[in-house]
Amino acid sequence: MKNKADIVIIGGGIIGCAVAFNLAKKGMKDIVVLEKEFLASGATGRCGAGVRQQWGTRQNCLLAKESMTILENISDYLEEKVDIELKQKGYLLLSFSEKETKQFAKNLEVQHSLNIPSMALTPHQAQEIVPILNTEKIHSAAFCPTDGHANPFLTTEAYAKAAKKRGVEICTFTQATAIKIENGKIKGVQTDKGFIETERVLNAAGGWAYEIGEMAGLKLPVFSERHEILVTEKVPPMLDPMVMSFSFNIYCQQTPNGSFVMGHGPKNEKPGHNVNSTWQFLEAMAQKVTYLLPAIKKVRVVRQWAGSYNISPDRQPIICESEQLPGYYMAVGFSGHGFMLGPSIGVYLSELITGETPSYDVTLDLGRFARNEIIAEPSVV
Amino acid sequence: MILEYDAAIIGGGPAGICAAIAAGKNGLKTLLIEERDFLGGQLIKQTHRFFGSEEEHAGTRGIHIADDLKAELVGLSNIDVMTSTTALGYYEDGILTALHDEKMVKIKPKSMVLATGAFERFLPFENNDLPGIFGAGAVQTLMNIYGIKPADKVLMIGSGNIGLIVSYQLIQAGVQVIGVVEAASKIGGYLVHASKLRRLGVPIMTRHTIKKAIGTDKVQGALLCQLDENWQEIEGSQKQVACDAICLAVGLTPLADILSQMGCETTFIGELGGIVPKRTADLETTKPGVFVAGDLAGIEEASAAMLEGELAGLNAVKFVTGDERVNERIHHLKGELHGLRAGPVGEKIRYGLAQLFEDSVITSEKIDSHEHDITQLAHTGIPAWENIDEKMPDEQRMIKPYAVIECFQEIPCNPCVFSCPFDAIYIPKEDINLSPVVNFDKCTGCLSCISGCPGLAIFVEQRNPEQGKGTVSIPFEMLNRPQKGDVVDLLARDGHKLGTGIVTRILYGQKQDKTAVITVETDIELVNKVRNIQLQGTDKKGVM
Repeated sequence: MKNKADIVIIGGGIIGCAVAFNLAKKGMKDIVVLEKEFLASGATGRCGAGVRQQWGTRQNCLLAKESMTILENISDYLEEKVDIELKQKGYLLLSFSEKETKQFAKNLEVQHSLNIPSMALTPHQAQEIVPILNTEKIHSAAFCPTDGHANPFLTTEAYAKAAKKRGVEICTFTQATAIKIENGKIKGVQTDKGFIETERVLNAAGGWAYEIGEMAGLKLPVFSERHEILVTEKVPPMLDPMVMSFSFNIYCQQTPNGSFVMGHGPKNEKPGHNVNSTWQFLEAMAQKVTYLLPAIKKVRVVRQWAGSYNISPDRQPIICESEQLPGYYMAVGFSGHGFMLGPSIGVYLSELITGETPSYDVTLDLGRFARNEIIAEPSVV
Repeated sequence: MILEYDAAIIGGGPAGICAAIAAGKNGLKTLLIEERDFLGGQLIKQTHRFFGSEEEHAGTRGIHIADDLKAELVGLSNIDVMTSTTALGYYEDGILTALHDEKMVKIKPKSMVLATGAFERFLPFENNDLPGIFGAGAVQTLMNIYGIKPADKVLMIGSGNIGLIVSYQLIQAGVQVIGVVEAASKIGGYLVHASKLRRLGVPIMTRHTIKKAIGTDKVQGALLCQLDENWQEIEGSQKQVACDAICLAVGLTPLADILSQMGCETTFIGELGGIVPKRTADLETTKPGVFVAGDLAGIEEASAAMLEGELAGLNAVKFVTGDERVNERIHHLKGELHGLRAGPVGEKIRYGLAQLFEDSVITSEKIDSHEHDITQLAHTGIPAWENIDEKMPDEQRMIKPYAVIECFQEIPCNPCVFSCPFDAIYIPKEDINLSPVVNFDKCTGCLSCISGCPGLAIFVEQRNPEQGKGTVSIPFEMLNRPQKGDVVDLLARDGHKLGTGIVTRILYGQKQDKTAVITVETDIELVNKVRNIQLQGTDKKGVM
């Protein structure tokens, strides 16, 4: 392991690896990524593996669309032949009320202003896309055919491999234990395998973002919350798009290998790092999904797990350099959509770090809360 | 609905059943969960008589032990049994879920015994995914549970007890076993099992291994090679053999998944089979009230599994009720386990346990003073003449029938002592690991002990020097059983044909329980050499 670096990135998930790749591509030397377990072992590898562009705010739509463009061209982009199991069969968002339908209409306007090819559908049209859908209580739907699925492990590994090829040192099973600060300046990062001298640190620690903030004396306004998820056995293809509902609180997709992946947002979950599974989730999920997609009721669950949503006050990521501590960068509080935003955030953050003009006109800094410029994203699970 | 129990036991093999019986007998409302549609685990495939202490089912065939245990279980009304039920997971709120009748059931147990057993290891070699390559346990399941003949010509890899026993059972099922290959320099299993195979003509090749399986769509043969003292291939030692199945008996690994899911701490101890739970001498894991027993706690024989099952069950009783009255039995069981593991064959498990406890709860002392020098036996499966001579009476005594016990390895076993109606067999120092001795003053040559020995290692001889003739009585468990008066081939300890003899007597009654005793008359000089017979023209020995 290097004992001196231009930047130490804490976290080997999609964000850490994407930023490392982008920085290396720009020519930065001596980049070290610290990962306390294996790559994508935290939130990235535990996520629902969906990539959607149907958001309600302009900047989320923009970042998601840019991410999808990168994922669509990932081999060219990384200059490496990679397969990330990209499947663009769309996201079908379900509305269960008139109010929700109206929100969808507003969202579509925003999406269309960025040329995202989304559309409003009647329940009948939705059923044409998902023949196994129970449309009983569905009011309407929205659909974007270019949304879809990518494998978080393969995507992270692809970024990591491309980064390593460009000189990035990725240290797995290496834990950051302290950040050394002297006179208000970062001096280095202590790990369980040794000390690395550096003036710049990126907190890309996913579920552990708050703790990595504390290491530098920062109280970041984020907390972690358990979200559960399950995967079924592989069955023949029967569901093209990701089916999702905010009000019914569910997402469910069939991955390219044939297994279904599904999850929901928890109720009354205490903040913390508990990522144990619960039987209650299995029951709740089974009830919901078999109502919505009755045809999969005989499909067996093979595994369940949980991951941390690192949640910010407005459920949008916080991407910036700390005003209190120059050289301390953060990419935290992704609130459950870090994987799908990862590729564009990788670009944006690398530009922030190198001092270039950002490619995207977005407001993601920590200061937005003090300025009361919070991002009101209406479409999250 | 959440089902409440005092104890939930996962796994209906010998350990799990014994745990359930112990918990049930002591008043716990007990649930036994078994994934298969029947109870008994590996016991129901074990057609051989068990070794061990007479007190703990020894001398009884595994399949009958399973029946006995099941009968005891059924008699206890506070035990519920769910077969065809898979334990799914244990959750942070103390709920155990299981798949039962295609539904997830929720169980809230106050204590648990995990007795999930083990799974067979595989071996890496070229073409090891060809159809026709089996785990030895799988072959045993095919034959002994489903009645399916797995192949015609089998090569067995591994000479542990499973490899030796399954080879023997294959031959009983009419399958030719071309040989047993063992990478170590010594035979791994009980040497009496090895001797049984050798006198059937099966070669046991120590310091040999398989390099590749030969065949395109299925196994047609194997490429073997010899190993040197550093386990490296000896150049020019490759040898091709023909077979239509390769059976792997290369060890077991504890099935510890649910332990890890539950958050019980585990550790790697090679001698115990790999990843095993950290646990106390009372079998309690790092999660209070969660106990382990059987192969999951460390790979061992079924006798130990049954003792551990009861021990875990009693500790669950103590955990739930605080009842100290079980202490006496707990103490006794620990003593029995200690005895089982005390001999040379228990060395590996003792060493493993010593690592687990990081102290000397069970000592790891090396036992190097064997009663007999069994070097030749351990390498070949055939005892040295010096060994055999020690078991013989003096010449004058030989004119009357006498038992010869060809049991030289120190293993924990004593059913022969109880099989003798004349108290002529005893084990020195009452140490169950020592080999039995015949008191020729008391021995009448009644043949009772022949069928009682789990290792089929007892023979009765008689010599008539005046006529130059003699008789030898041997245990016989093959289908081609001769009739009285038949002329049969006489086979030596290595299966080679010595000559012919006439069957003069056959015992095949209830007492023999399917281990026939066949007496043949032959020339006096062959009496001590004949250890097997076969009907003329049924030669099926190994051909390597």
